[in-house]
Amino acid sequence: MAEVKVNGKKLTKRSLFWTWAPRSEKEAGDSIVRNLLLHWFPAKVTLKSLSWGYSLWLGTITATLFLILTLTGVVLMFLYVPSVERAYQSVKDIEYVVSFGWFIRAMHRNSAHLMVAFVFLHMVRVFLTGAYKNGIGVGQNRPLNWIVGVILLLITLFLSFTGYLLPWDQLAFWAITVGTNIAKNAPIVGEWIRFVLLGGHEIEQNALIRFYVLHCFFLPAAVLILFSYHMWRIRKDGGLACVDNLVLSQKKEKVKDGMKSKTYSLLGLTAGRTVQVETSLIDEEKYTVNSVPFLIRRIGLVMLGTFVFVVLISLFIHAPLEEPANPNVTPNPAKAPWYFLWLQELVAITTIRIGGFVLNGALVGGILIPGILVILLAIWPYLDKSSNLSTGVWFSKERMRQNIVFLVLCFLVIVLIIIGTYMRGPNWEFYFPWEPWPQLPKKF
Amino acid sequence: MKLDRREFLKNLGIGSLLLALAGQIYTWVRSLFPNVSYEGTRRVKLDEPDKIPDGVTFIDDIKTYIFREGKTFYAISAVCTHLGCTVKYVGLSKPKVVKIGGKEVEVKWEFHCPCHGSKFYGDGTNYAGPAPRPLDWVKVEVSPEDGKLVVDLGKKVSQNYKLTV
Repeated sequence: MAEVKVNGKKLTKRSLFWTWAPRSEKEAGDSIVRNLLLHWFPAKVTLKSLSWGYSLWLGTITATLFLILTLTGVVLMFLYVPSVERAYQSVKDIEYVVSFGWFIRAMHRNSAHLMVAFVFLHMVRVFLTGAYKNGIGVGQNRPLNWIVGVILLLITLFLSFTGYLLPWDQLAFWAITVGTNIAKNAPIVGEWIRFVLLGGHEIEQNALIRFYVLHCFFLPAAVLILFSYHMWRIRKDGGLACVDNLVLSQKKEKVKDGMKSKTYSLLGLTAGRTVQVETSLIDEEKYTVNSVPFLIRRIGLVMLGTFVFVVLISLFIHAPLEEPANPNVTPNPAKAPWYFLWLQELVAITTIRIGGFVLNGALVGGILIPGILVILLAIWPYLDKSSNLSTGVWFSKERMRQNIVFLVLCFLVIVLIIIGTYMRGPNWEFYFPWEPWPQLPKKF
Repeated sequence: MKLDRREFLKNLGIGSLLLALAGQIYTWVRSLFPNVSYEGTRRVKLDEPDKIPDGVTFIDDIKTYIFREGKTFYAISAVCTHLGCTVKYVGLSKPKVVKIGGKEVEVKWEFHCPCHGSKFYGDGTNYAGPAPRPLDWVKVEVSPEDGKLVVDLGKKVSQNYKLTV
């Protein structure tokens, strides 16, 4: 092994890049701080945070999917041409001519769908465990991190939506037609938003290049910045919420005023100390382990598992490509991407008529209802008045009612998505999955 | 408020920096509002009135149905008033009599929207689904130069605006 001498110290490759098997507490902490990729992790981690059952590792899975999306996305950028004349042909080439093109595209597409699903599941987990609540640490601001999470969810949806247009096939064109027309119904600014988004009144070259730039640069950059902040806040908030709960359940006496928690001037380097410096109980070895190798190993496992899963399903589930976009022929039925189908379902059933007065369903179902839901979601941590005993616990009794309401809402969204996906046929009429659809002429 | 020179210069510096930045950002944002549209034309010349087939014709490029009844012409936009999908013409095997605005009218065809299931009678009146208003009728004219039929999508007209040549 190559050895370099710096100030009389031996620097081996091993000490430069990796201290995988630390020989002391000091070295274990050191290996976190000194590694660029790891410095945002704590030196020590509680077993509870590390367990499979508490966090289900949904955030890590989401981050892994984002990594896969970035890598495959960069490859696809070399192969795709964002022009109305050539977009469809270049995607067709990726699918049928380029070596492994179909596979890279399937990886990208499947990861995108999975990412939407896992961001959602991650949010459900955080809600059900009350992990957006502050616990006992001083200077915690978990509600803020929850809001960052909600924004990340919205950006993820928008990322997926902008990617949807790029193949420039019928599926893409009409999903974007419906989507952008919903935006048009927003009061006052709707018309304006659609105009800027499309760079005109029709979905043409201007719209394609705008969606392309948003999809490839703007939104991923936003995700990266917010994701970094999201992770940093976890550290500032004293780790996962279950740590607060662990401390509380060990402290027999009630915690009246906030305990001091450690801030991270030393990056958690101090041996034997975890995030709550004064809560010495969880410093005990039976509650914590060194992040290297335990946390790193588990993150590696989750990343590997996610990767293998995406590879395997991409061998069998390919990204679809329909006929080239034709603005004159609307496919019947025309459906939005699945994660927006609940909105399409709402849009189709919420036109309200009171006498001569008509409220367009696009406004009610497309703007008002989702708008109210998102606002409620964002401010919920401030409305949740449960005690900090419910922080970081699955299905806390105290929070039972809100958990049920939340689950019912999630369930309704999922039911609407299922109806939209499997039970809506031509002219948006209802058919059970086993009922055949009538044969309709393609053109009028 | 009293400012010493140091404070004043500092504010001046930061202020002009912010102003310059705002100016830059304005140019970026403004550049995204197109000044020229290269989108397809909204006024389309068709054939001579005689050559347009009797009954209904769908003009692809402008998403419009042209109707001819003998010497009478009219045009209904195929853009759904709900979310902008293209409605489909559905000929009825048996004409049915419906009430539109208090009057009984016989309809021989309807328009159905594939996206969210809105339905319109033959004259564009919405009667089912989420569409909030009837389909637009657009102006049909005869070109003064060569006598050909012209459809102008920019000009919406009232229902039952028909051109007799």
